Amino acid sequence: MKLLLRLGRAVATVESALVVFLLGIMTLLGFTQVVLRNFFSSGILWADTFLRQLVLWVAFLGASLAVRERKHLNVDVLTRFMSERGKKLARLVTDVFAGVVCVVFLKASLTFVQNEIHQGTVLFLEIPTWYFQLIIPVGYALLSFRFLILNGVVDLQALTRKSTTESDPG
Amino acid sequence: MLTLLIAVLLVFLAFIGAPLFAIIGAIALMAFAAAQTDSSIAVVELYRITSQTVLIAVPLFAFAGYMLAESRTPQRLINLSRAMFGWMPGGLAIVVLISCAVFTAFTGASGITIVALGGLLYPVLLQEKYPERFSLGLVTTSGSLGLLFPPSLPLILYSMVASLTTAQAGGFEIVSVDQLFVAGILPGLLLVLMLSFYSIRRGAAGGVPRTPFSWSNLWVSLRAAAWEIPLPFIILGGIYGGFITATEAAAISAFYVFVVEVLIYRDLSLTHDLLRVMRESMLLVGAIILIIASALGLTNYLIIEEVPQKLFEFIQTYISSKVVFLILLNVFLLIVGMMMDIFSAIIVVIPLIVPVAKSFGVDPIHLGIIFLANLEIGYLTPPVGLNLFISSFRFEKPIARVVLAVLPFIGILLIALLVITYVPGLSLWLTRVFHVL
Repeated sequence: MKLLLRLGRAVATVESALVVFLLGIMTLLGFTQVVLRNFFSSGILWADTFLRQLVLWVAFLGASLAVRERKHLNVDVLTRFMSERGKKLARLVTDVFAGVVCVVFLKASLTFVQNEIHQGTVLFLEIPTWYFQLIIPVGYALLSFRFLILNGVVDLQALTRKSTTESDPG
Repeated sequence: MLTLLIAVLLVFLAFIGAPLFAIIGAIALMAFAAAQTDSSIAVVELYRITSQTVLIAVPLFAFAGYMLAESRTPQRLINLSRAMFGWMPGGLAIVVLISCAVFTAFTGASGITIVALGGLLYPVLLQEKYPERFSLGLVTTSGSLGLLFPPSLPLILYSMVASLTTAQAGGFEIVSVDQLFVAGILPGLLLVLMLSFYSIRRGAAGGVPRTPFSWSNLWVSLRAAAWEIPLPFIILGGIYGGFITATEAAAISAFYVFVVEVLIYRDLSLTHDLLRVMRESMLLVGAIILIIASALGLTNYLIIEEVPQKLFEFIQTYISSKVVFLILLNVFLLIVGMMMDIFSAIIVVIPLIVPVAKSFGVDPIHLGIIFLANLEIGYLTPPVGLNLFISSFRFEKPIARVVLAVLPFIGILLIALLVITYVPGLSLWLTRVFHVL
């Protein structure tokens, strides 16, 4: 159990570092591109394509981190009127549901990437497209892991334990 | 029967807080399974998101907005607008409206505005003898004001989702974000102006003491915000002057705000605050893009099955006039805005609404402005509008008190909404004047 939470925290650290690094690149490269285009009438040919791929990477990593902090967008009109116990139960049910959906998407995205490898398309600078697309299955794997295993265990514990202290999902 | 059961179950799951991307994803997966299409097609559609040039603007504007929200910009913004407008009757109320509108335009998410700016302004309003109920209503209402002003994230998202929808339907027409940036200005000003007139009247009627205008005050607050003031001018001037695109404006904003807040003002420390802000802003971006990604699979299915077409035909058997359609659209969108946050609402509802509205002859740009104006009000709509809850939580007031306080403001906003809906020129006139493409 402790080991699991520690694993979750380790993954979060790596994700956070990557997100910060990629966002830094996006800001700098994006700005450089504007300067080149407007003041030197040139620009890096592949920069825009590359930047859009990076957005997908940042998005999936950010989405995985958002699971940990329960920041995913939802409608939740009912929970606004629920008791503490009801909220805990709702959390368990919704986390498991989201986890299952992510597993199915994980499977679908693996098929997708395999097809792309077969087709062998190249995005730019001879880099195969599927290198960039790899973030989709990786992202869904991370999401599944967080929803089903990390959050699922924490929710279950919160529900069975009497104490009201909130535990931090790894 | 089974379909109905599943639908009820999914709605229930959504209402008890299941992530929206999972709900939409589940619907898409089931639709693909029913049509015996391989689920990997859903991922093919998902990956199409990278074909949108405006995609880069989403994380960069979100990053810039978070940096502004986490620095001392709100305080400087309030000081500056107090120095500029505080002398007017009801001056402080106008300060609230203007600073919140500007802040929301740059940060996009309206919950932040109530917490960051409302928290600072509400005590000052009470201190200056504004009635409690009026003050509470004002800060709650102002929390969503400004969504129509560039460079708000909802405008960018609307452009992206609407363009993707038309592209999936086989069209090439792009709902340009540059046009939306221009189209929102007059309707946005209308909302601010109408609320300002109401505040001036209330301020004068309540006999609120007025603070005299002072040049030295203005000078001090201008100097304090000297580095932030150019930002709107660079962005808006650049876009309206045709020098830069909205996407380029995002890159400039992110870089400029970083330099100003981290290196010049040092409101955010490079090692600690900046990393946290970067991370937190990308949580929101991840959550938003994941919903768009799941929705793309679904809209693809909807379009193959000609659902918008059928929806249009169904509506048309009951309604044939554009006027009636727009009224129903407003009612529908108010309910949507009450139940969903603005990002989810755009992603979920737009793919269905855009084709139908187009068949009724509503311009997609005008539709975007109607849409966002509705959602702005939806945030305040009882019983479950999100801002009511944020405000009740932040100012420790019972929900019922907040609801009573916002009612007159909702009334004014609804009148403005009717004008925005039935006078398309208000949204479209400037786009023709500026010749924005």
